[in-house]
Amino acid sequence: MFSSGKVVELFYDVASPYSWLAFEVLFRYRNVWNIDIELKPAYIRGVLHGSGNRAPGLIPNKIMYMASDLKLLSEYFGVPMFQPSNIYEKDSLNAMRFVTAVAEKDKKGDVLVERVSRELFKRMWYTHQDIMQPASFTEVGLKAGLSASEVEKILTLAKSQPIKDKLKSVTQEALENKCFGLPFIVCHVNGKAEVFFGSDRFELMAYFIGEKWMGPYPTKPTTTM
Amino acid sequence: MSSPRKVVELFYDVVSPYSWLAFEVLCRYRNVWNIDLKFKPAYLGGVMHGSGNRPPGVVQNKFLYMKQDLKRLSEYFVIPLSPPSNPFEAMFEKGSLNAMRFVTAVAEKDKEEHVLVEKVSRELWKRIWSTDQDITEPASFTEAGLKAGLSTNEVEEILNLAKSQPIKDKLKSVTQEALDYQCFGFPCIVCHVNGKAEVFFGSDRFELMAHCIGEKWVGPQPVKPTAKM
Repeated sequence: MFSSGKVVELFYDVASPYSWLAFEVLFRYRNVWNIDIELKPAYIRGVLHGSGNRAPGLIPNKIMYMASDLKLLSEYFGVPMFQPSNIYEKDSLNAMRFVTAVAEKDKKGDVLVERVSRELFKRMWYTHQDIMQPASFTEVGLKAGLSASEVEKILTLAKSQPIKDKLKSVTQEALENKCFGLPFIVCHVNGKAEVFFGSDRFELMAYFIGEKWMGPYPTKPTTTM
Repeated sequence: MSSPRKVVELFYDVVSPYSWLAFEVLCRYRNVWNIDLKFKPAYLGGVMHGSGNRPPGVVQNKFLYMKQDLKRLSEYFVIPLSPPSNPFEAMFEKGSLNAMRFVTAVAEKDKEEHVLVEKVSRELWKRIWSTDQDITEPASFTEAGLKAGLSTNEVEEILNLAKSQPIKDKLKSVTQEALDYQCFGFPCIVCHVNGKAEVFFGSDRFELMAHCIGEKWVGPQPVKPTAKM
């Protein structure tokens, strides 16, 4: 399979709103920058705990800022976050285990992981639905194009030790890259790894991977989300 | 008749490297965007304390990331940022209270609409974040003041003023103003558009900010640089 040589790893958690922005932007730029996106579903609370960082939601002024920041960013980037105020109310451990299990089963090179992740992001940040119960993952899986029996298998797999360990190890991988929050992007260009935290380093990232940042819509949007 | 300039307030502290980035970018865009740039020298330590936040440097991975991040941003923004040899000592032990009182005193005396505040602030940033020099001693402020074009007499006056209660109170009140905008760190940029105040934290929201104030972000150097810093 042809590789551009530019591998971009995205460590993300659906509980992280800025991860959704980074996720959508990278997919919009995939063919523009000719990058290989490697999705790395991780666990934000594990990252915070492992790095000794604190969730921004613990600082009242940060919560207020984030609500207005995300409203502006949502509009500017065209990622439909609606009143993102319940930051950190929902634990994403089950959700990210589910995504990890989908990744394990995904024979189509991340297509399913992408779809399932997007459905979970929408539930968490747009429709404000549950992302902790098995019934929620069933809905998500079906919406992403999985059959009922496939969803069943993945739900079972998600509770297995190997999947729990896999999520832990991807989270650990992020920490080994000196991660302290998500989204966390690792670009591999010319044998060198450049790390970028957040969804506001794309212009800088483009410069360092020899590409050009053209704003949130590198090509005219053809479909709505 | 041209439309009124949009007021853009920059709350900053010279101890903050990202504040330097925001400062230089806004200075570069001052005549490109239809803005009225107002410098608001404030005290980051006070903002941290008042908001219950902690400096990013106390989380090891953040500290390591920042070193790399600042190196890349320095190159991309073309600002000669270079961390001090002992960042913890410079930022947390020595701090910036005296420095920001000095800048506040300069602002009080500044008859030329912020020109001196701009020059003095830049000289102080260069000291801590470029040439690894002190920003706590009177001799340091004297050097910075002279470099910024103040006379020895003026520097003397400002040094005295900086120790006065009114200046201490002024710095406190500007810091409180930042906290009233729900600030939790610097740089904190407040744009006043159509009677509304939009707050932007950090030096990485310029593209979004431009969109909000009806302007265009064209990167860190909107005009070809004519002089070196």
